[in-house]
Amino acid sequence: MKLFKWLTAGIMGVMLVSCVTINIYFPAAAAEKAADRIIEDVWGPETTPKESTTPEEQQSSFNLPEKSLVLTVLNWLVSPVEAAEVNINISSPAINTLQSQMKARHSHLKTHYASGAIGLTADGLITIRDAKAIPLKSRNSVKRLVADENKDRKALYAEIARANGHPEWRADIQSTFARRWVKKAAKGWWYQNGGSWQVK
Amino acid sequence: MLTRCLIIICGLFFLALANASDSVKMAIGDWSFENVVAENLNFDITIGAQGFELTAQADSLQLAAPVGRITDLKLHCNKLSFRVDKLSCESGQISFKQHDLGLQNIVFNLIAMPENDHYQINITGLKLAAAQFNLNANIEGNHWQVSVDSDLVYLPSLISFLSSYLSEQVVHSVAEWSVDGHIKLSADINGQDGHFDNITLKLATSLLNLSDEPGQYVTEDVATLLAFELINKQPTWQWKAEVNIDEGQGYAEPVFIDFSSTPVSFIAEGSWQQDESKLTIKKALFEQESIVQIRGDFVGNIEYINQLNVVVEQTDIALLYQHWLQPFLVGTAIDDIALYGQFSLDYQQQADDYHLSLGVDKVFIDDHGGRFSIDSLSGMIGWSNYHYLVQTDLVWQSGYIYAIPIGQSQIKAQAESSSLVLLEPWQLPILDGELQLNEFSLHRPDGEHLKWTFDGLLTPISMESLSLALEWPLLHGKLSGVIPRVSYADKHIQVDGALLVKLFDGTTIIRDLQLNAPFGALPQLSANVDLTGLDLELLTQTFDFGKITGKLDGTMTNLRLSNWQPVQFDAHFATPDGDRSRRRISQKAVDNLSQIGGGAGGLLSRSFLRFFEDFSYQRLGLSCQLRNEVCEMSGVGETEQGYYIVKGGGLPPRINVVGYTRRVDWPDLIERLKAVSQSSGPVVQ
Repeated sequence: MKLFKWLTAGIMGVMLVSCVTINIYFPAAAAEKAADRIIEDVWGPETTPKESTTPEEQQSSFNLPEKSLVLTVLNWLVSPVEAAEVNINISSPAINTLQSQMKARHSHLKTHYASGAIGLTADGLITIRDAKAIPLKSRNSVKRLVADENKDRKALYAEIARANGHPEWRADIQSTFARRWVKKAAKGWWYQNGGSWQVK
Repeated sequence: MLTRCLIIICGLFFLALANASDSVKMAIGDWSFENVVAENLNFDITIGAQGFELTAQADSLQLAAPVGRITDLKLHCNKLSFRVDKLSCESGQISFKQHDLGLQNIVFNLIAMPENDHYQINITGLKLAAAQFNLNANIEGNHWQVSVDSDLVYLPSLISFLSSYLSEQVVHSVAEWSVDGHIKLSADINGQDGHFDNITLKLATSLLNLSDEPGQYVTEDVATLLAFELINKQPTWQWKAEVNIDEGQGYAEPVFIDFSSTPVSFIAEGSWQQDESKLTIKKALFEQESIVQIRGDFVGNIEYINQLNVVVEQTDIALLYQHWLQPFLVGTAIDDIALYGQFSLDYQQQADDYHLSLGVDKVFIDDHGGRFSIDSLSGMIGWSNYHYLVQTDLVWQSGYIYAIPIGQSQIKAQAESSSLVLLEPWQLPILDGELQLNEFSLHRPDGEHLKWTFDGLLTPISMESLSLALEWPLLHGKLSGVIPRVSYADKHIQVDGALLVKLFDGTTIIRDLQLNAPFGALPQLSANVDLTGLDLELLTQTFDFGKITGKLDGTMTNLRLSNWQPVQFDAHFATPDGDRSRRRISQKAVDNLSQIGGGAGGLLSRSFLRFFEDFSYQRLGLSCQLRNEVCEMSGVGETEQGYYIVKGGGLPPRINVVGYTRRVDWPDLIERLKAVSQSSGPVVQ
């Protein structure tokens, strides 16, 4: 009997410890606003006029792996942790530095977006889409601009996630930016959509 | 075939002469011989002042492939002679139409000596691909020799003409390129029976514009001279090639060459062993004027290297970097550097095993981003991916890593099997101290990322020199440490062990130091720091904060610097428990501390407390949890609405400094620390 009590207590203990479902919702709407602020600053008046955003367009939920039946029952007994929407902060010296570097670089990239030489990729980066639109002599310098821009963009996405205390949000931040870069792109610029190139 | 036909025609002509008249006209009608079929064939033979004159016509003539059917055939031989052993036709003219060749008007000379198996024909005016070709052919027994030359041929027309004679695969491959420009051709071909003995080919291109579909390989207005010789030494073909390009521009991703300013030449000879598909290149010399000269040899085939040797003679590294190295380094930490000095390379490969020695002489490297520089780098760098030892011996005079100067240093190491190890400890002077690296080893298996580790010792660096270099307020003390292990992998440096900083008479220990992407877009540094027994008097003197006496302990955990700026930490500084030192705080320090806590200075001087120079305190301290540019502050104890920054105690006069602002904007706080100005007054109890 004593053993049974121990076992029950033990199992309940383990279950209570393991039953906590952590729902950390990625603040998609806030991330979009944050992305827009950066994009508008980097691209300047080149960007298209503000359009209405669709909040919670793609809200992410991170659950502990595989809810078991036990966890589901316990979730009913013990209400899950309520997830509060948080803001995305994009003000830090590191982010500001990257932002100003990208802004300065944009003056060199702008003509190549317009000519179709450079396109926006589906993962929030840029790539040389049509090398033939770049004079031979300038190809390597444009390649370096693209590499530098992508280095900064990757660092930016990671830094925003880290600065907001959630390094695991990097991928969500990146995909939010990917959508917003495309939304904000000027007419005539190229972007990747479902594996093929499309023009705005 | 044409020659044989002519002989037959001439035979008929002499049959006609049997009629002993000045002019013979023959209408043969349809006629066939072996694979040759003629329709409506007519002859007109006259005896003129020059000798016999032949005119022949046929509505059509069916010849063997690849010529096939020709129509509207007209043949005129101005001076025809026929002997038993020799037939000749001087100033001959032939015109016809053919599907691929179009209308042709050809001038020819013919000598045929069937008895001796000797035939000679010269053709001028053959129009192929809208260009004119001349052709000389000599047949002597089973030996034959053909010479062809052309005027400028428009390349798209030539490709279009050749496409019907090329395999579908070749046509498809050519169609993936856009081609424009002209080519001038000259070729000599010798052979026996059905095979070649040697071929000499000369090609000159002008305004050559080539581009593949993605634009990875492009030429613009290129002028090329190509000479190629091929000798048949069955089962081996021996060859010699010489290419000179001195006009236009070329791009072969990622290398761009302006041939007009830096002409390129390539000379090589070698062989091709057909039965083994083995290509040998020997005495290859590639030269780009004023930039680089590369010698090499090669044995292998397109898919496999048996042997490859490449030697780059001593050359100016600045131009080499600009033209040949930088394009391959885009996206790395060294894709935008100034580079001067001399460079040489010796690379040897056998199958998959290779080793190389890279020589540098008085090389100066300076990162345009200001992250690093090295001055007067000389010596050899060796590398090998198999069991072959190559030495590295490098020396430099000075350098910088960010703002930290490094001194003269020498590395002696050896490489083997994709690893490099030190032969003797490496001493790297840093400011007035030294980083001594022992057991340094670097590993980079083919296709994998670079990894290195070392253990070392940091001999004391004076904080004076460090603070001077980093443009900090002048600090006094020493920085030193025993580093059990530093490892680098995947752009990540991890320092095991601890760095010890003797600062303000106390001890600061930096633990768990990690550095991510040190030369990347956003270097990340994280660490935990413990501070023990700092003398506040020394500290406050240094920062001109207002005098405080006593000791201070502290921790700074979860410290993260992004791009060398603090973006996160949990800092807590306070008077240590059981501190027995004299604890006094000056008016100025009270003012300044209260401002850091969100208040303002100046109130003390307006109250009666201004008569006291300093105050006794029991404890002081401040905590800051930095997240998102906001510092969550607290002190050494809670009050009803705020927190104690200084808690009075001991002999009077005592003073409490209470902070009320819990959340402080970090840049504001930095500004306050710097200026300590604005004031709304501390609460003085």
